[in-house]
Amino acid sequence: MIKKIITIILLVIIFLSFSSILIDLDVDNYAKNYLFNNGLEETGSKNLITAIYLDYRLYDSLFEAGLLLVTVSGIIFISKRDDDVI
Amino acid sequence: MKKSEILTCICRILFPFILIYGFYVIINGHLSPGGGFQGGAILATAILITYIVEVPILEDIVILVKIEKYSFFIIILVAMTSIFTRGSFFTNFVPEHMSMGVKTIFLLILNFLIGIKVSTGLITILTTFMEEGE
Repeated sequence: MIKKIITIILLVIIFLSFSSILIDLDVDNYAKNYLFNNGLEETGSKNLITAIYLDYRLYDSLFEAGLLLVTVSGIIFISKRDDDVI
Repeated sequence: MKKSEILTCICRILFPFILIYGFYVIINGHLSPGGGFQGGAILATAILITYIVEVPILEDIVILVKIEKYSFFIIILVAMTSIFTRGSFFTNFVPEHMSMGVKTIFLLILNFLIGIKVSTGLITILTTFMEEGE
C-alpha cells in the first residue's frame, strides 16, 4: 500500500515537472514552416511525409530498405537447410 | 490448421480487393497518406491470406529474393542519377525549374520500386516462417 502511494506521488511529481517545462518550452518552428511553405513546389508531392522521405531525406529511406534486405537475408541464413543454397 | 468454410470463402473474396488496395496506396503515395512501405506491407498481407486458403501462389522464394535484390540496386541507381542533373546525390533527378507534375514522376517510380521491394521482402520472411513451421 505504501509502495503504491509513493509511486503515485512520484508519478504526479514527474507529470507536474514535465508539464511545467513544456509551458516554457520554445519550439523552433523553422523546419516545419519551411516544409509547409516550400515542400509542394520543391518536390511536387502533396503529402509532405513523402516529400521528406523521397526527396529531402532520400538516403534515409534507402538505408531503411537496405536494412530490410539485410533482415531477409539473415532470416534465410538462419532457417535454410544445409543442402539448399540461395 | 482447422479449415473453416466461412473463413476460406471470405478470404477468397477479399484477396483481389487487398491487392487493389495495396497498389492504390503505393501509387497514391504522393497524394494521400501511405507510400511504398505501407503499400508493400498490404501486398504482403494479401499473399499471407493465400496460406489461410491453402492455395499458395508463390512457392519458390529464390525468385522473390532475386527480385528484391535487383529492385534494391535499381532504387540506388535511380536515386543516384540526380548527380547528372542536379549535381548532388540522393534527391529528385528532375531539374528544379521544371513543373510540379514532372517532379511527380520521380516520386511515382521510387514509390513503386520501394513497394515492390518491401512486399517481396515481407513475403519472403512469411514464406520462410511458414516452411519452418511445417
